[in-house]
Amino acid sequence: MATEAAPMDEKAKRMRDLLSSFYAPDPSISTSNSSINASFDNINSTSFDADQYMDLMIKKSNLEVLLQRHVQMAAEIKNLDTDLQMLVYENYNKFISATDTIKRMKSNIFGMEGNMDQLLQKIMSVQSRSDGVNTSLFEKREHIEKLHRTRNLLRKVQFIYDLPARLQKCIKSEAYGDAVRFYTGAMPILKVYGDTSFQDCRRASEETIEIIIKNLQTKLFSDSESIQARAEAAVLLKQLDVPVDSLKAKLLEKLEQSLDGLQIKPEEASKLVEHDDSSNDTESNDQHPAKIHEDAVRGFSEAMRAYREIFPDSEERLFKLARALTAMHFENMELYIRKRVSAADFLGIFRIIWEDVVLMDEVLPEAALSDLSAEAAQVTLKQFVARTFSHLQQDISDTLLKFDINQKEAVEGEVLKVILEASQKAVLQGTTNIFQDFRQLLDENAGIFIKMRDLISGWIQKGFQDFFRSLEAQFLVLSGKTSSSNDIEGKSSDKIHAGLILVLAQLSVFIEQKVIPRVTEEIAASFSGGNSQAFDNGPAFIPGELCRVFHAASEKLLQHYIDTRTQKVSVLLRKRFKTPNWVKHKEPREVHMYVDMFLHELEEVGKEVKQVLPQGTFRKHKRTDSNGSNTTTSSRSNTLHSDKMTRSNSQRARSQLFETHLAKLFKQKVEIFTKVEFTQESVVTTTVKLCLKSLQEYVRLQTFNRSGFQQIQLDIQFLKAPLKETVEDEAAIDFLLDEVIVAASERCLDVIPLEPPILDKLIQAKLAKSKEHNNNTVSS
Amino acid sequence: MQGGSSGIGYGLKYQARCISDVKADTDYTSFLTGTLSLKEENEVHLLRLSSGGSELICEGLFSHPNEIWDLASCPFDQRIFSTVFSTGESFGAAIWQIPELYGQLNSPQLERVASLDAHVGKINCVLWWPSGRCDKLISIDEQNLFLWSLDCSKKSAEVLSKDSAGMLHSLSGGAWDPHDVNAVAATGESSVQFWDLRTMKKVKSIEHAHVRGVDYNPKREHILVTAEDESGIHVWDLRKAKVPVQELPGHTHWTWAVKCNPEYDGLILSAGTDSAVNLWFASASSSDDKTSESPVESTRQRVNPLLNSYTDYEDSVYGLAWSSREPWVFASLSYDGRVVIESVKPFLPRI
Repeated sequence: MATEAAPMDEKAKRMRDLLSSFYAPDPSISTSNSSINASFDNINSTSFDADQYMDLMIKKSNLEVLLQRHVQMAAEIKNLDTDLQMLVYENYNKFISATDTIKRMKSNIFGMEGNMDQLLQKIMSVQSRSDGVNTSLFEKREHIEKLHRTRNLLRKVQFIYDLPARLQKCIKSEAYGDAVRFYTGAMPILKVYGDTSFQDCRRASEETIEIIIKNLQTKLFSDSESIQARAEAAVLLKQLDVPVDSLKAKLLEKLEQSLDGLQIKPEEASKLVEHDDSSNDTESNDQHPAKIHEDAVRGFSEAMRAYREIFPDSEERLFKLARALTAMHFENMELYIRKRVSAADFLGIFRIIWEDVVLMDEVLPEAALSDLSAEAAQVTLKQFVARTFSHLQQDISDTLLKFDINQKEAVEGEVLKVILEASQKAVLQGTTNIFQDFRQLLDENAGIFIKMRDLISGWIQKGFQDFFRSLEAQFLVLSGKTSSSNDIEGKSSDKIHAGLILVLAQLSVFIEQKVIPRVTEEIAASFSGGNSQAFDNGPAFIPGELCRVFHAASEKLLQHYIDTRTQKVSVLLRKRFKTPNWVKHKEPREVHMYVDMFLHELEEVGKEVKQVLPQGTFRKHKRTDSNGSNTTTSSRSNTLHSDKMTRSNSQRARSQLFETHLAKLFKQKVEIFTKVEFTQESVVTTTVKLCLKSLQEYVRLQTFNRSGFQQIQLDIQFLKAPLKETVEDEAAIDFLLDEVIVAASERCLDVIPLEPPILDKLIQAKLAKSKEHNNNTVSS
Repeated sequence: MQGGSSGIGYGLKYQARCISDVKADTDYTSFLTGTLSLKEENEVHLLRLSSGGSELICEGLFSHPNEIWDLASCPFDQRIFSTVFSTGESFGAAIWQIPELYGQLNSPQLERVASLDAHVGKINCVLWWPSGRCDKLISIDEQNLFLWSLDCSKKSAEVLSKDSAGMLHSLSGGAWDPHDVNAVAATGESSVQFWDLRTMKKVKSIEHAHVRGVDYNPKREHILVTAEDESGIHVWDLRKAKVPVQELPGHTHWTWAVKCNPEYDGLILSAGTDSAVNLWFASASSSDDKTSESPVESTRQRVNPLLNSYTDYEDSVYGLAWSSREPWVFASLSYDGRVVIESVKPFLPRI
């Protein structure tokens, strides 16, 4: 360490030593640890023991080292000494300079007081001088100030005098804002001195202001001005204390009047829509009405916006106006759809209205226009749906009644077929169209429609239900089956052609089998839902019920057709049996006329039926399915009867009667009245059956002599062949024909049937005659 | 409907058209019926329903000189009845009395109380004063209406008044209004006509074609039921007789006769030439208010008015009569001479 310490800076080394002595935790330990080091280190410590150090040195070191050490120490001591000397010197120097400074300060403070006094004196004199100046200038200043005031006043007066001219100038440059500002600025003066000094001036300016007011008013009223300008005009007018309320009232009135122009008149509505469609592709020069309308409504809403800004207190009135316009729109719409309108047109108008509403709603959101219009739209839409259905119904009945069936030549042509086909088409096409229309309604995306979609489907379902129900009712009324309370219709019901009833019957079948399933499908496909809450009583459209209704209706109508047809025959027969005195009847010479008429009627039935009804499965020789067991026996009885009839006339009537009774005993009741089916054969057969039954009943009410009976026998015999030709259930016809003869024989006082040869002869004669007649008509 | 064979049958020897309830018989439910045979000897049968209601007993059998087209029992004397008969060429009407002690006699003869000889023409029916002891009768032929006064003790009948309906109408039958004894309805070819007996003048008519049977509703004033050839049954309110109050489908073929139940309002029986008897219930509500048409109509369509159809007949049914003693019992007579007594009791709860 000592060797190293030599190059070290003296001071640094000392410092380090001091630091280490200071930081050493225990000097004793350090000394014990390294006695040599400690001895070196401890040279500066307080507990440094010079003697001990000396001893240690001597003991440890040789002389050379000690000498060296001595030299070193002597040098160190010398160094320390000079250091100390230097320190003392420097401090002393500083002390001396300090005393010098204090000495100089002491000398400077003297003489300051005198200067201060001088300063005070000078300031005093300055003040007195300035006072002097002040007083000398005061008068002048007063004067200047007065002059200045006068000048201001004069300027004001000048302004007022200039006011009219200035206002004029403003009018010229249309700077009404400035004019009003000038005028209101001058107002207080004019108010005070207006009656005296500035009379003329006031009058002139008031006149100009009048003009300004007028101008402002015109500006306010003129639609060509920008809204801002008009609003400004209104503000200015207000500033001029012009009664704005009356103006407002006037304006609003004007707005109200303009509503008329905005109406979508029912007559023009279609035009609106037409152009709406075509406008896109053809840019026509003349503006199409839809655009005009839109602009008008835009203008209207703009005006409303303006008025709202101009007259914030007029909101209520504007609301009312907007509502009125909306309501008017929908009223007109209702008028419009009173005529026949397609859904597209309807939607077109609807869209326009909706746009209008949206436009107005933007301006007046508080007016709740969309709610209002949604309500109105619901009503209108509902009406539209209802109307569409009633139109369809009208269409169908029109189609049905379009053809004059009563025309003779028409019967020749297949009118009934035409009617049936036309009406079937009408029903199908009509329902298809309705679906298309309604699908459009559903697809429509205008705001209200989306909300109402459920409702619409509900209405449509309900509409169909009601439509079919009322259609059925109408069919019945048309057929004259249900007499309507209306007297006029009641009268016309007499003239209802039987063929029409048949057509109605077949149409009912068609609706039941084709239309209703289709409608059901369509509804399921596109209009399901909607009956969730609207209808508590389950779905509104119940195809099952409708099918039942139409099934019943078709049967009823078919029955009615047969009834009307048989009724005709019945009248014929009634006349036939009422007129002659059967008890005194003459011998039969020929087949009676009524047979021809009867056959003619049947022929007509056959014709009508052929046009309308489908052909049944051919089963002329089969039994009617409903009573298979009966026909066997009845056919047995037939053979009995025909045997009887062909037997020689030597047979006594009495035994014949016995035989018929016997036959009756064996055979079971023949079910004559089977259910009518929708086939040509079935209807004809039923008609024939009913007529023959009527014939039998009429016979039973009479009493015949021999000739009368023979006449009946002849007639019936003649009927046999043609009837069998036309009718599917031969057995039943045979049975009925025999029944007539039996009834006649029972009611005959003297039963002797005609002999077959005579019968044959008479029938042949009749046939020949009718053939000849036919030929004649053909040749002529 | 089911062709109930629950009825009690009774066979006449010959064909027959008419049967009548013996209203004056308060001890038994009995019916009178007469045969219609041109050549055989005709008979009048007095039938009695046994007390158990299970048998139909022939209480008396009397020969009648001619075939019987109409028969009506006197409402106040069970032994008296009227018939309309035909000899084949001409028609006649007479009042008969069943002899006392007929049970002991072998072949009792009917006593002829009176002949309505003054009435010539094709007589259709004889009507008795609807209720109570009154000796008035009405006979109707195709054109004329005769009002008779009957004196049983003197055994004579006098014409009180008469009126002609005119040639074209060809009357076919009639009914005496139980509510208004001065009113009589007669059915014609094209209309139902009404006479006031005090003046013996036609007062009004319902234009309706081919009416065959007519009956007043005994429980309800102004209500009339008609049966027509083709168009079924109609219920009319005589106060507004333009349009029928109700329409019932009737029968497959003609509806021949129609009878209102004497006790149960709205219960209507009809007989038809389709060999069936139908029991209807014409709901009272729809006959009351006609104004509310559509809803009534719809309810009417829903409720089937046909309660039952009795089809166990071999031939057309012309004769029909309710029992006034047991109003749930009716007698029907088909042309082949079969009387069938049926009870409608099973259907009463439905009304």
